[in-house]
Amino acid sequence: MPTNPDSNLDRLLSAARADAPDTSRFEFAFETRLLARLREERNASVFAWAWKLAPFFAVLAIVAGFWSHSTTATADSLAILVAEASEGSAEVTLVSYLTGAP
Amino acid sequence: MFDAAPPSDEALVDATLGGDDDAYAELIRRHKRRVFGAAARFARNDHQIDDIAQEVFIRAFKNLQNFRRDAPFEHWLARITVSACYDFLRRERKHRETAPLDAVDFDMSDSSVERAISAGRAREVVGWAMKQLRPDEQLILTLCEIEERSVREVAGLTGWSEANVKVRAFRARNALKRILEDHAHES
Repeated sequence: MPTNPDSNLDRLLSAARADAPDTSRFEFAFETRLLARLREERNASVFAWAWKLAPFFAVLAIVAGFWSHSTTATADSLAILVAEASEGSAEVTLVSYLTGAP
Repeated sequence: MFDAAPPSDEALVDATLGGDDDAYAELIRRHKRRVFGAAARFARNDHQIDDIAQEVFIRAFKNLQNFRRDAPFEHWLARITVSACYDFLRRERKHRETAPLDAVDFDMSDSSVERAISAGRAREVVGWAMKQLRPDEQLILTLCEIEERSVREVAGLTGWSEANVKVRAFRARNALKRILEDHAHES
């Protein structure tokens, strides 16, 4: 009887199909390993974002520092002016009290 | 008193999207056997099987918000599995090195085929021949011939039209047969 390649191929494929590989040893605790990897990736991505945002926060901190410094300086000079003005006003009040001038 | 029914896959997907990792662990537990089974059809070693399975479940996790409930989760996951396996085959093709099949032991004669089958070497022989094929041919043969999926199913899994699947499967089968016959002539 001549060899029939088609039927021989069918037989080979059928036998290969029946010989399903046993994967049970890989399946053991697979979900635990996978979730650990996912958490690691998630944390890594948080760190990556933190690093990407670092220059922005640095610039923000510098701007905030300058703003705070200039605001404090303005507030200080205003306070001095008010103090001087109020001191001057006290003097005027004293002089007018002592001299009886209105 | 009766036990509560286990949550459906869709409920577990919703829980996962809500940040419940245990729900995703349960989804993995339910479907890992099928994914590992598919991966083992394409991988060459144990390490690759694990890599493919991890790739499948990580892709699924990252795309979970795209899961539309028009088909069961299992079908959606099967499409991701096929896609991951296809990508794996294409990557592998770049650094493929095919070890020679034991020339003494196999040719395409009836007796040699019978011997290979009875010795439990059919998977080895088919696997060896498959590795000589292009990735798309390997994919279509595995899905149609080894996993015995219907043309319609394969079309749904690969995104190819049914006519395209039929043509590709026919050509891939012929290519596989030719490789085995040529090997027989060489040996």
